Amino acid sequence: MNIDNKLDLMKQIREVDAPPFLLTRIRQQIQNLDNVEAPVKWKWAFAVISVAILVFNVSIFLKTVNTTEGKTTGIETVISSMNLAATNNIYNE
Amino acid sequence: MTNDSHFETIYNEHKNLVYNMCLHYVLNPEDAQDITQEVFVKVYQRYHQYDTASASLKTWICRIAINHCLDFLKAKKSKKRFGFLSPLFYAESNEPISNAVYVNHPGIQTENKEAIESLLQIIYTLPENQKTAIILCRIEDRSQKEVAEIMNTSVKAVESLLQRAKQKIKNKLKDREGL
Repeated sequence: MNIDNKLDLMKQIREVDAPPFLLTRIRQQIQNLDNVEAPVKWKWAFAVISVAILVFNVSIFLKTVNTTEGKTTGIETVISSMNLAATNNIYNE
Repeated sequence: MTNDSHFETIYNEHKNLVYNMCLHYVLNPEDAQDITQEVFVKVYQRYHQYDTASASLKTWICRIAINHCLDFLKAKKSKKRFGFLSPLFYAESNEPISNAVYVNHPGIQTENKEAIESLLQIIYTLPENQKTAIILCRIEDRSQKEVAEIMNTSVKAVESLLQRAKQKIKNKLKDREGL
């Protein structure tokens, strides 16, 4: 079997003209590119996710503040019960 | 691109080149039209990035067209591969999934229609680079130098791709004739 002869058959494929409506379709698509807007579903999803992240951040912040306050009180109790100096002024200058 | 008439000139000069190249890759006019459309939209968007020193406009447009065709075929292949998952995501998707390539090339109007369609079906299954080399050299009848420039490779590499492609086509033709 001569493969080159077989492949030469493909030279019989004729060139086809592109359909005339293609340019209109391309122009339409180019125009649409300028006014692309996100779908409503995406907008809602973005809003919901943003609010969820905000709430999560605020809750973490509030929790942290409460924990820090509790710790300060605990340390002060230990200092007073062990008669430790609460300042860095060691030599009573 | 700012000038509309300039784009129209480019489109008119290259529309048949792109459309026929797409037809040789995807083997049906509907998909070829869609890809041609995408190619020219990309040409419009990326024209400011085109470097006249690196390649001619024709070569640049050919590269865009080839990349689009290969991306389209990859997407089609993965759609077939994961087709069993599509009912989970798209309830209305009832498209039949088959591995057979249906050839509907409007440029084939000869008495050797069946033989040519059979060859095109085999070329469709070749690896990307071999497919591109065969389409450009044997169907579009371009020189190996031109093909090397389009594929951004050496003439020797194109020669080697053609040899491997021919061997594969020969084997597959033998298998078909043996059946």
